[in-house]
Amino acid sequence: MRIMQNSGEPIYQQIADQFKTDILAGKYKQGEYLPSIRGLAKELKISVITTMKAYEQLEAEGLVTAAQGKGFYVNAQDSEMLREQHLRKVEDSLTEAMAAAEIAGMGDRELMEMLETLLSIRKNE
Amino acid sequence: MENNYVIEAHGIWKKYKGFQLDIPELKIPKGFATALIGENGAGKTTLLSIIAGILLQYRGEIRYFDKYTDKDRENIPDVKELMGYTASGSYYVAHWKLKEVEKISSVLFKGFHRERFRQWCREMEVGAAGWDPKQKVSSLSDGNRMKLMIAGVLARDTKLLVMDEPASPLDPVMRDRLCGIIREYLAEDEGQRSIFFSTHNIADMENVTDYAIIMERGKIVEQGFVEDLKEKYLLVKGDAADAEKVRDGLFTCDCGQYGFEGICLSENLDKLAGFQVSTERPSLTQISVAVMKHFSKVAKG
Repeated sequence: MRIMQNSGEPIYQQIADQFKTDILAGKYKQGEYLPSIRGLAKELKISVITTMKAYEQLEAEGLVTAAQGKGFYVNAQDSEMLREQHLRKVEDSLTEAMAAAEIAGMGDRELMEMLETLLSIRKNE
Repeated sequence: MENNYVIEAHGIWKKYKGFQLDIPELKIPKGFATALIGENGAGKTTLLSIIAGILLQYRGEIRYFDKYTDKDRENIPDVKELMGYTASGSYYVAHWKLKEVEKISSVLFKGFHRERFRQWCREMEVGAAGWDPKQKVSSLSDGNRMKLMIAGVLARDTKLLVMDEPASPLDPVMRDRLCGIIREYLAEDEGQRSIFFSTHNIADMENVTDYAIIMERGKIVEQGFVEDLKEKYLLVKGDAADAEKVRDGLFTCDCGQYGFEGICLSENLDKLAGFQVSTERPSLTQISVAVMKHFSKVAKG
């Protein structure tokens, strides 16, 4: 896990996002415990409260559950929800690409063509 | 958020000539590192000495480990066994040699582990040799005396460390090590150990501060978990031309030739609507400085 101190994005957010990616990618199995809050704080050289806030955010998003005195374990990931999460990611990336295209003065057709080209390249690989 | 406390105090009051400590309520969360922040003379050392049981003349009640009263602290050895205190100067007698420090510590505290004490002295390099039983306390620099006190508390099985300005006399490398030591201490017994320390070096200690208490002239003026404080306050920057107009909506404001910078309560952000401002999450240092400035201005009228 990589934490950037001066990226402008809050550290708890960076931690939550990286766990989220790992959980959605299946790197943490259902029922598996995340590292202990204070153990992770020690490893990442950050405060306990920052780690705790990251875990609480994951809990609020329904990805993990807090077990009294035992830490946080990973919930069963609903496949519908998983797909929803991935779709949102695709949407975000495409929106970002559209914004960049606008700055570059690309027309809609040109943008579509580029996407089609990229898709066909991947198909041929 | 866990809501149990390692220290709960009520009505703490102490008066000196020209100074009054007045703390209606103090709660130190269990399982976290709490920083006590404030200007010189704000009363940090007085408060820590009262908590540690060094200063015995005061009014008020203190509850330790959700179990013991401050009377128990003087009568039941367990309370002091569970607490480690480091002073801002040095509490070891200057002509003692390290072996005497070790011997007297093991007489005072039954949970003092001699070998662990030596290991910490070696690891932190107290003095040139790390561990030289014949070295005198008086021959140690301020930084090394602080390391010696830290080694003294780490050599014991405690649940709470009370540290008065532990970072101040240390060099940058050792300050970094101190932060590591604090995290290791907390992680070794998940949720059961707590630290309460005062500091002027907020930036150096920020990544190890969970809860912050800010004092001004003997009173607590702000406190909270750092992540909550960073949402309560916002760092705002804008054009110099707007500085006068936004000043009332801000908590503190510094204006220069090229623009203004200030701290604003997040709930007051709407007062800045219509102005070209950018906002940022403030650091604990920025919040602390703003709070101290704000309240010392309030006190002066």
